[in-house]
Amino acid sequence: MENCIFVVMETENGAVKNVGFEMITPAKEIAAAKNLKTVAVIIGNDVDEAAKQAGNYGADAVITVDAPAYKTYASDEYTSVLTTLAEKYKPEAIFIGATPNGKDLAPRVAVKLNTGCAADVTAMKLNDEGKIAFTCPVYGGTILAENVVETVPQMATVRGGAFKKAEPSETSVEIICEDEITLKAEDIKTKIVDVVKEISEAVNLEDADVIVAGGRGMGSPENFALVKELADLLGGVVGATRAPIESGWISRAHQIGQSGKIVAPKLYIACGISGATQHVTGMVGSDYIIAINKDEDAPIFDIANVGIVGNVLQVIPAMIEEIKKMRA
Amino acid sequence: MEILVCVKQVPDDSVKIGLNASGAPAIDGVTMVANAFDTYALEMATRLKEANEGTITVVAIGPEKAKDALKSCLAVGASKAYLVSNEGLENMDSLATSYVLSKAVSKIEELNGAKFDLVFCGKETTDCTTGMVGPELAERLGVGCVTGIVDISLKDGGISVKQETEEGYNTVETAIPAVVTVNKPEYDPRYPTMKSKMAARKIPIDVITGADLGLEADKTAPAVKVTALSEPPKKQAGVKINEKTFEDTMAKAMEVLKEAKVF
Ligand SMILES: Cc1cc2nc3c(=O)[nH]c(=O)nc-3n(C[C@H](O)[C@H](O)[C@H](O)COP(=O)(O)OP(=O)(O)OC[C@H]3O[C@@H](n4cnc5c(N)ncnc54)[C@H](O)[C@@H]3O)c2cc1C
Repeated sequence: MENCIFVVMETENGAVKNVGFEMITPAKEIAAAKNLKTVAVIIGNDVDEAAKQAGNYGADAVITVDAPAYKTYASDEYTSVLTTLAEKYKPEAIFIGATPNGKDLAPRVAVKLNTGCAADVTAMKLNDEGKIAFTCPVYGGTILAENVVETVPQMATVRGGAFKKAEPSETSVEIICEDEITLKAEDIKTKIVDVVKEISEAVNLEDADVIVAGGRGMGSPENFALVKELADLLGGVVGATRAPIESGWISRAHQIGQSGKIVAPKLYIACGISGATQHVTGMVGSDYIIAINKDEDAPIFDIANVGIVGNVLQVIPAMIEEIKKMRA
Repeated sequence: MEILVCVKQVPDDSVKIGLNASGAPAIDGVTMVANAFDTYALEMATRLKEANEGTITVVAIGPEKAKDALKSCLAVGASKAYLVSNEGLENMDSLATSYVLSKAVSKIEELNGAKFDLVFCGKETTDCTTGMVGPELAERLGVGCVTGIVDISLKDGGISVKQETEEGYNTVETAIPAVVTVNKPEYDPRYPTMKSKMAARKIPIDVITGADLGLEADKTAPAVKVTALSEPPKKQAGVKINEKTFEDTMAKAMEVLKEAKVF
């Protein structure tokens, strides 16, 4: 398998996280131009289905390392497995989803392989020298840096939602099963003693066509329910700024922005959101933005297609009424 | 408990930074501050120190003026500070930064006459946001690492931390020494008092140079090179509707939205 690109798929209870499938798309483009194979790498437990799916989404081959020890992400174990695979297969590039786990894994592997890693990649292309030019947002997304990794493998963590996954098509893909690597006791430095799932809802902001997001201006958890009501009416998903999450009105699975999800729905409705850079950077790519804010100078209006100056507690219910009337 | 907190001085993150006429980040005149996540790390370290005992040292790699960030740390929990001069080290990537920090850790341990039990880093910086320096440093030091923690306590001679995950959190235990990176906890960093600021001003900040650390040149060269900078395409502001009455505003808004076939 010389000459390949590794696309590392993170799984949760055997299911691949979306960003894994999404990364296959740019990997294949680069692989085609450079005559490389796109190889999905899955470290986990009970990942047969995940491996098949990786093929359906376009991977040329899949390497699995399947063992109970890998059921949930464990930093020391995953670091050793991915490092070992990279040393064996010598990929030209390694893409890892920029999830909390991916961002834990990538830098550790980068040191082991003594290579550079571009972080939070939102776009990539081949440059004239045949290297991958990665686009990475810096300064909260107000500047885009084009980064080239001079060393090999060219590592990158890739933001969820930055690339579109392919339409899956039934394919039979070559699956290589690699052995579990048993670490020496002294090499396992951290131990997860408890896993708490507080956030049970699946919040799929990246794939949503419509997002209705609420900010501090919603005022209270009760009022925040209006955001949900409008989202439900439009068949959309609820988003939030950091403020209502810190106040405990909604779980952080809904956070949009620099420390949350990057989204680009067809319609984004920002309710009681000021438009701080750290938030805007996560939603500015939306096709159509409606902003509701009582402060006519709120920066969110600078990027809105339609800005409604008014109180969210009046505007949202009225908007809900109007939409219901239109549909009646 | 000997604690090191790594701090980077960055431009104020509430200021929108674009490119200047020569195509570089327009940070001239922007107030420089300690990176937000590093201040969370320092606050967490300070609480740990207060609940147990110990000393907190802060270190920054940067120019002379980065001493200001260190001074602000000395006023809210740290009692010693070192500046690693970035002369000749201006273009480092995370990999190189973690290398220099790992060398600085040994040097500071020598100067302090004590080994560190814990190294705290912010989860990421607000300027480059790679989030890689902490885990890379752990890897270089060959110690345990937990990223994105929001709480910490001592347990059985090691530490027990609360690590944020996408679905909730993990409780993770690790032996000491270890490196942790800190996410935004439930609390905010404390403010300095007049008195603590005065006291901080009296603490000398020693400068460590690249030569003091005996750095290997090839390891301080960036593996990740910035080949271009650009601003994302500006989104044009559309219409802003602000009529005399709420009813008029709503009517106009719905008209525009229907016209655009949004609903
Ligand atoms: C390192 C770092 C990372 C961060 N990451 C993120 C991130 O990922 N995502 C994120 O969102 N933030 C993030 N933030 C926080 C960010 O800087 C802002 O503080 C946050 O986005 C503000 O949220 P907001 O707009 O809801 O609140 P505010 O800025 O307080 O704005 C509230 C708005 O509501 C309006 N309003 C109030 N009442 C009403 C009403 N009745 N009707 C209509 N309008 C009303 C006000 O006019 C105001 O404009 C980060 C900050 C830092 C330092």
